[in-house]
Amino acid sequence: MTADLFLQILVSGLLIGLIYALVAVGLTLIFGVMDIVNFAHGEFLMLGMYASFWGFALFGIDPILSMPVTAALLFGVGVLVYQVIIRRIINAPMLSQIFATFGLMILFRGLAQFFWKPDHRLVTHTLVGGNVTLGSIQFGLPQLTAAVGAVGVTAGLWYFLHRTRLGTALEATAIDREAATLMGINGQSMFALAWGIGAACAGIGGALIATFFPIFPEVGSNFILIAFVVVVLGGFGSIVGAFWAGIIVGVIEVVGGFVVGPEYKTAIVLSLLLLVLLVRPKGLMGKA
Amino acid sequence: MKAWLRGTVVGAAAVAALGLVWSGPARAQDEIRIGVIYPLTGAAASTGVELKAAAELAAAITNRELPAPDKLAAAVGMPNLKGAKIKLIFGDHQGNPQVGATEAERLITSEKVVALVGAYFSNVTATASQVAERYGVPFLNADSSSATLTQRNFKWFFRTTPHDDLFVTNFFAFLQDMEKKKGVQLRTLGLFNENTLWGNETTKLEVKLAEEQKFKVAEKIVYPAKATQMTSEVQRLKAANPAVVMQSSYLGDAILSMKTYKELGFSPQMLLANDAGFNDSEFLKTLGKDGEYVFSREVWALDQAERNPLIKRVNEMMKERSGVNFNGNSARAFTGVAVLADAINRAGSTKPEDIRKALQETSLSAEQLILPWKGVKFDAQGQNELGQGIIVQVQGGQYVTVWPFDVATKEVVFPMPAWDKR
Amino acid sequence: MTTIHLPKTVGALALLGFALLLPLVIQDPARQNFLILILMGAQLGVAWNIIGGYAGQVSLGHAVFYGIGAYTSTMLSLKLGLSPWLGMLAGGVVASAFSVAMGWPCFRLKGHYFAMATIAVAEIVQVLVTNSETLEGAVGLSLPMGNTGVAAMVFSTSKLPYYYIILGLLVVTVLASWAIERSHIGYYFRAIKDEPEAARALGVSLTRYKLVAIAVSSFFTAMGGSFYAQKEMFIDPGSVLATGVSIKIALIAILGGVGTLLGPVLGAGILITIEEYSRVLFGSTGSGTDMIIYALMIILVAVYSPAGVMGLLHELRRRIPSLRAKAEVRA
Repeated sequence: MTADLFLQILVSGLLIGLIYALVAVGLTLIFGVMDIVNFAHGEFLMLGMYASFWGFALFGIDPILSMPVTAALLFGVGVLVYQVIIRRIINAPMLSQIFATFGLMILFRGLAQFFWKPDHRLVTHTLVGGNVTLGSIQFGLPQLTAAVGAVGVTAGLWYFLHRTRLGTALEATAIDREAATLMGINGQSMFALAWGIGAACAGIGGALIATFFPIFPEVGSNFILIAFVVVVLGGFGSIVGAFWAGIIVGVIEVVGGFVVGPEYKTAIVLSLLLLVLLVRPKGLMGKA
Repeated sequence: MKAWLRGTVVGAAAVAALGLVWSGPARAQDEIRIGVIYPLTGAAASTGVELKAAAELAAAITNRELPAPDKLAAAVGMPNLKGAKIKLIFGDHQGNPQVGATEAERLITSEKVVALVGAYFSNVTATASQVAERYGVPFLNADSSSATLTQRNFKWFFRTTPHDDLFVTNFFAFLQDMEKKKGVQLRTLGLFNENTLWGNETTKLEVKLAEEQKFKVAEKIVYPAKATQMTSEVQRLKAANPAVVMQSSYLGDAILSMKTYKELGFSPQMLLANDAGFNDSEFLKTLGKDGEYVFSREVWALDQAERNPLIKRVNEMMKERSGVNFNGNSARAFTGVAVLADAINRAGSTKPEDIRKALQETSLSAEQLILPWKGVKFDAQGQNELGQGIIVQVQGGQYVTVWPFDVATKEVVFPMPAWDKR
Repeated sequence: MTTIHLPKTVGALALLGFALLLPLVIQDPARQNFLILILMGAQLGVAWNIIGGYAGQVSLGHAVFYGIGAYTSTMLSLKLGLSPWLGMLAGGVVASAFSVAMGWPCFRLKGHYFAMATIAVAEIVQVLVTNSETLEGAVGLSLPMGNTGVAAMVFSTSKLPYYYIILGLLVVTVLASWAIERSHIGYYFRAIKDEPEAARALGVSLTRYKLVAIAVSSFFTAMGGSFYAQKEMFIDPGSVLATGVSIKIALIAILGGVGTLLGPVLGAGILITIEEYSRVLFGSTGSGTDMIIYALMIILVAVYSPAGVMGLLHELRRRIPSLRAKAEVRA
């Protein structure tokens, strides 16, 4: 392997890894705040992609420009899902929570097929279209944009959780629900907020990914397994953990796929996950 | 109060579900019921819905609901059954072999269908046709290309489409022809196939033929379908630098791979695709110009309408009913139902055994079909011997026939220009 | 409601008698097939419940045991001509051994981490089988159709033999599950689940009993996999090793009520019914309606009956004292 080739693979892996992180941060946030695994997170991503697509197809608005609207829409979807369903199962056993979000996953896929047909769509023109060539290295501008977006979303979330009053309240609820309630924090609204923000993150992810990925009702299923791997590797609930884990997974997947063979790339990533869990049962940055 | 409410809701849901009865077959006497099994939900739903529309068109033509060119096989109708009407009963297999078998069983025993058509996915066709074989009901497969399906010595299985053996043989014949015509060497191959039954069988055949015909396999990749990224795959191809890439992908992966080729600036002299995703109606719609110059094996192309007015007429009917042109998949589904209708009419009966005999005696000529085949005639294994493949190329946003050279409508554009020179 | 308070053996025998007679009343093969699907789901749910319910270790990777069962019996039958009756047992043994090897390191993980690790193991095995030439990879394995009869466990059109075989398998699985529930191990499991720290303090070796649970659970799951292979006569990684299979197995137990003996049976009855009917009635439209209905049913149950249908029955019984009083009088 030449140095150029190695560098190229590394950069490609880094970019896709940041995109994985982008999908995973919302998932890990929801988990961190209320210990619920959201199987429908891939479908939030799918809804974000469709929102971007329709903005583009009906009104000619670029997904990058419509991103604030997409994020707001998904925030609404997240809060709605919380209010209608999740609120009722907050104290239910982990298993029935899995059951409910699994049902949501199927529901969103069904609704998408019902309203938008099972066709594959693509945003054909975007402000960030085209390729970048740096010396011998090439990559897509959409991927670069999405990667930058991932850094932005992670940094924004971190800032929000650690440097704003609302965010600190959310963190407090995550750490100790009852103590937070005693201190006058409304747990219910915090949870709703977590779902809103988690879904909005998936919305931003959807908008960015929609610039280079085909859009169809089942698109969430392409990303959900890897998003879970990233969340677990980083440690459930850790935003920073998900960020680094995304990068690690992306690089290992691309490099491993290149060296060992693409047919084994999923197995390589999952083996890495198992190895890490054996050494650190709570993931890289999970709270004990 | 709350418990009551919960109890009522769950109880009602459970009772409603349990109480539902399979809609008993309420049918007219002169109705010929045919079961059609396709993936109508799940990852391949967009293809399944297209196949459904094509099958319905064939039934409508047979039922004389639409005027159609006389020559067409389906247009004969059912004179031997006093103009009985075909009724298609659809089942959704969701891409799952067990569901396919379950649906086949239901259609045969509850819906009392006299024959089955399906199922697009080769592995679902494998289980569903096994059920038909057990019950002694004809199973007509129009669109699964796994070669093993007609190596099972089944008595009730018929396949109209050519299978992968022929398609892959065509690939190599095409490459040899190209070498002669253009005076170039296309001896290094990159095999890039998805990792299900179809991609695996194709890879094996390609390796075998490459060896026999002295081609060199520079890279062989079997990638996991439904990918999130194809960077490692494309980097490997790029490093091996083959003259020709032979690729088998379903739609989502086909689109993603094209985008990755462009992103990483990979353009082999020829990209030779194995139908499926590359010929889906959505492929060019979504990729636009970036889909140009791709070669693909096909069984059908719109430009065949220029040679054959029959194809043009039928395609217009399809376009009017469902808003899209035919493609290789839907044209084959259409033909499947038409071939079955022809057999049922000749049988003059809806008894499975009579239909099976009539299918075995099928002899349709090229003029009766909308596919560029020599006709339809089944061998002892139920495989149509007269099917043939063509190779198309995307030129100016259209799939045009470029091989075999005698049915070609356009000249081959070769080699594929680099991405930055387009 | 009253039957619950009748002597349990009588109730159980009545239930078994009903199950034995049912296919004689329902003779339509498609409906018999539907009953078989329910029994298959029930058997897997009961098996899953041993580790997921009693021992409280949520596995979302049971497809790996299912697949091991299907592949072991099929390979033994194709290569060595071994009867699937023995192949089924062999598959169970292989799966048990695998589960112990997998459980030993993985039981250190808690809650969601354990669940994710089981998904990872199952997905890795799926990738390996898909790329294995010996196992025919993605092409899958077909059992020959000519060889029918009891010894080969292949029956051409009659559904009855399949029905009674899977019913027998379900009964054996329920008995095994019952034996475990009643044994010392069962008490330990409850202790592990309810008070892990206290149980540890009392010197209960957590790992050892979890290993017993997963070994038994995987054994029966694998037998279910062998049965699938014999029924459909075609297996490939996508149909027996996919994570979707794992999730469905868990859903059945969750829907019925985890940690209860017959909850998974009830869960299978309801889930398979919803699945089949929504597809039969609405699937042919191609508009996704069947998925929407299926999903709504699942969400309704999850929201209104978090402890599964069994939990709901218990709650109803608790909330309706008059009914309970009557039942006790009769009993």
